[in-house]
Amino acid sequence: MTAYVVRRLWQMIPTLAGVILLIFFLFNWVGGDPAQVLAGKISNPEQIANIRKQLGVDEPYWYQLWVFVKQVFTFDFGRSWSTNEEVSRILLTRVGPTLTIMVPVLIIETTLAVTFAIMVAYVRGTLTDRMIMIVCTTAMSISFLVYIIVFQWLFGFILGWFPVQGWSESFWKNLSTYAPLPILLAVAVGLAPQLRLYRSFFLEEINQDYVRTARAKGLPEKKVMMKHVLRNALIPILTNIGIYLPSVFVGSFLLEVFFSIPGLGREIITAVNRSDFPVIKAVTVYLAMLTMIINLLVDVMYKFVDPRVSFK
Amino acid sequence: MKRLRLAVLALAACLAVAHPALAAEKKVIRMAFRTAETGFDPQKIFDRYSVGICENLFEPLLTYDYLARPVKLVPLVAEAVPQPEEGGTRYTFRIRPGILFADDPAFKGKKRELTAQDFAYSIRRFRDPKLASPYEWLFENKLVGLDELAVKAKKTGTLDMDTPIPGIEVRDRYTISFKLVEPDFNFAYSLAMPNVVPVAREVVEAYPDDTMGHPVGTGPFVLKEWVRRSKIVLERNPNHRGYELDTRYADPSDPWDKAAIEALRGKRLPVLDRVEIYPIEEEQPRYLAFLNREHDLIDETPFEFIEQILPNGKLAPALAKQGVHVFREEAPETTYDVFNTEDPVVGGYTAEKVALRRAMVLAHDRPQEVNIVRKGQGMPAETPVPPGIVGFDPAFHSPQQEYDPPRAKALLDMYGYVDKDGDGWRDLPDGKPFTITYKYNARTQEQRQIAELWSKSMAAIGIRVEAAAVQFADLLQDKRVGKFQMASSAWTADYPDAQNFLQLLYGPNTGQSNEARFKLPEYDKAYEKSQRFPDGAERSLLYREMNRLILAYAPWRLGVHRVFNHLQYPWVKAYKKHPILYTNFKYLDVDVAAQQAAQGASR
Repeated sequence: MTAYVVRRLWQMIPTLAGVILLIFFLFNWVGGDPAQVLAGKISNPEQIANIRKQLGVDEPYWYQLWVFVKQVFTFDFGRSWSTNEEVSRILLTRVGPTLTIMVPVLIIETTLAVTFAIMVAYVRGTLTDRMIMIVCTTAMSISFLVYIIVFQWLFGFILGWFPVQGWSESFWKNLSTYAPLPILLAVAVGLAPQLRLYRSFFLEEINQDYVRTARAKGLPEKKVMMKHVLRNALIPILTNIGIYLPSVFVGSFLLEVFFSIPGLGREIITAVNRSDFPVIKAVTVYLAMLTMIINLLVDVMYKFVDPRVSFK
Repeated sequence: MKRLRLAVLALAACLAVAHPALAAEKKVIRMAFRTAETGFDPQKIFDRYSVGICENLFEPLLTYDYLARPVKLVPLVAEAVPQPEEGGTRYTFRIRPGILFADDPAFKGKKRELTAQDFAYSIRRFRDPKLASPYEWLFENKLVGLDELAVKAKKTGTLDMDTPIPGIEVRDRYTISFKLVEPDFNFAYSLAMPNVVPVAREVVEAYPDDTMGHPVGTGPFVLKEWVRRSKIVLERNPNHRGYELDTRYADPSDPWDKAAIEALRGKRLPVLDRVEIYPIEEEQPRYLAFLNREHDLIDETPFEFIEQILPNGKLAPALAKQGVHVFREEAPETTYDVFNTEDPVVGGYTAEKVALRRAMVLAHDRPQEVNIVRKGQGMPAETPVPPGIVGFDPAFHSPQQEYDPPRAKALLDMYGYVDKDGDGWRDLPDGKPFTITYKYNARTQEQRQIAELWSKSMAAIGIRVEAAAVQFADLLQDKRVGKFQMASSAWTADYPDAQNFLQLLYGPNTGQSNEARFKLPEYDKAYEKSQRFPDGAERSLLYREMNRLILAYAPWRLGVHRVFNHLQYPWVKAYKKHPILYTNFKYLDVDVAAQQAAQGASR
């Protein structure tokens, strides 16, 4: 297993190099010149050249790329071009609010989706199954933005169950007061596609020979479903969670923008709007690394979920 | 000892319970900004929301009277508004003694008094290449000796802050005199801008990497708490000397003025203890936070909700019932569409080239832009100068900017812009087909609608206009280097004089603010001449002549002066929106009992 992990870690280097090159060329190709924005309303070419010099974007491309690579390996992305705040500080202060929303979303959504999916799979083909699938398909067809606008207006303003928006310095106040509505929204939106997907995983397992054998041997249905079907369906579920997991650390920019949550998603949008490359670089690289590490962890976890899996 | 402490705490708790007013008397206003701030180094920032905060933390030499309309310059930390000397090339200020900066560890526990030297240092900062100030242009080719220092600084990388120069003369601890390179009768306006404020050198040097996060000024408020791009809390500056509302220039018939005078009679300003500002970029949560009474007022009410807020131009009954007040502001800004006068198709000064631009202006459906795109929240512009600005001429009418497609068609026909190849589109007089590209900022929905309207309006007279969405930074760059045919633009007043708008078409400003790259000798001559006169009949005549030339040569399609509606609950007192100042916290008061009763009822 150690050899496998080391090999996978080595494989991350070319992937990371690809990510670095992609971000670098995308920014320089379509990102626009940040000096034009930072120069203000009236500026002459000399002032713009001075700003470009200060930002380091007047250097040859190879040198800028080298600086970028150094930043990735030292985890020091310098300061934001628009606010002069340290990028590391931006990431550290923004990840907390994002996780306050996204971790509960992941836990609640996965628990509900797995529970409902196994129940629906068990009664497949019945009216209940069909009704739930119709509801899921309808729910999936509506834009996330519509959910946000309606939920915020209905639960925040009309019913007054939650504040319309806001955030505080206290973790508990956030979790109990400001986070519930965004969490409810994210779960409501995410549940339908997850439920449909997990249902298909369970259905695939229910139709397997080993399930038929288990039933033929007289195992109670509860045991068949919970011990055999659930366990075997866990591998694709785990893969799906693995794909979803990195987004937990980045958050939903729509939720964060609409509910004034000072998280990473909102920060990314602000950075893109302001051509704030240091922040964009840091977040993208951080997300790429996180995705690779989570993928590796998920692959390692397969072994524990299914002992037949071997590392080669 | 421990028992004593407990007893004191218990007594305090009892007092608070017995007299809730003791704990609840703090006057707090909560509101939202439409865009996140960037920071609070006044010489470094240019976004209006950061500047709005700086207005409360720092104080310029001069400011504008809160109630006077049209706006009026009044002294703030200076003792008086100076009269121009030496033919408009010298301005001398005497600073009021005893004005203190807010406390900061950089002052090592001592009180720090504001001196003339602080202004000298802060104005030099605008030209420091290390700072790369977006307002460097304010002091370019302006103060004797400063340009030379800036040239040297380009070599050394930093500006010499100590060597005396004739342009900034510190005569004594409280007197500073500015010597200008050439006459400028608007110079005093520059010294009322919220960016041209004193910062303490010790503070800048104590936090060289984070001046944006350490604002220390002499203003009525201090930055108490700042969660970047999420929450800004201002609290009353204990070192501040306090003001009194100046009522000399108030209009006794204006209900806003009357209410402000009534509310602030006998009070020392600022009255508010605390201001909480939350940047909320999306319009729905910003508006709902106001409706939910989480916020006490909302500036620049979202256009999306204008039909619910002001149906048929009147405040909605539901809001009126709650006592909400609406302040309608004609903003000191002008939107316009620029023609690149150097472009081979839409540019040029010959009769046929001018005819094409004028025909396009006549065919552009501006009424639809005002009524549909802007939901009626804009006044069609007759000149580049918006109302409320010195030099605005209410009698000036511009038939050349009216929507009149038949006239446009006739003009095009007259100058040979007819369909020669039978493809349904007009061709150039030499028979070549042409398409005009209109560039706009891809980020805004409103801009997209305006661009589509251009395509539609021009198609109606047989001219092909393609709308091209570009990144904001690219749009700025393209306009600066002239890589466009037509583009959208807007200008907000930096100071309340027509010159701030008319310089946008001054030839030597090409590549900077003159996006149209308009170079008309008559216009430039009139502009230069106008700079030599103070406000008066002679200058007004020159401004009129310049406006006439703009309409005749049509380097722009004038858009609108936008209208904003600002709402406040009845417990917010003394509100009046100032056209130049972004915020008015230092003049506001709040009826705490009414505020708490209403906010308690809504929860």
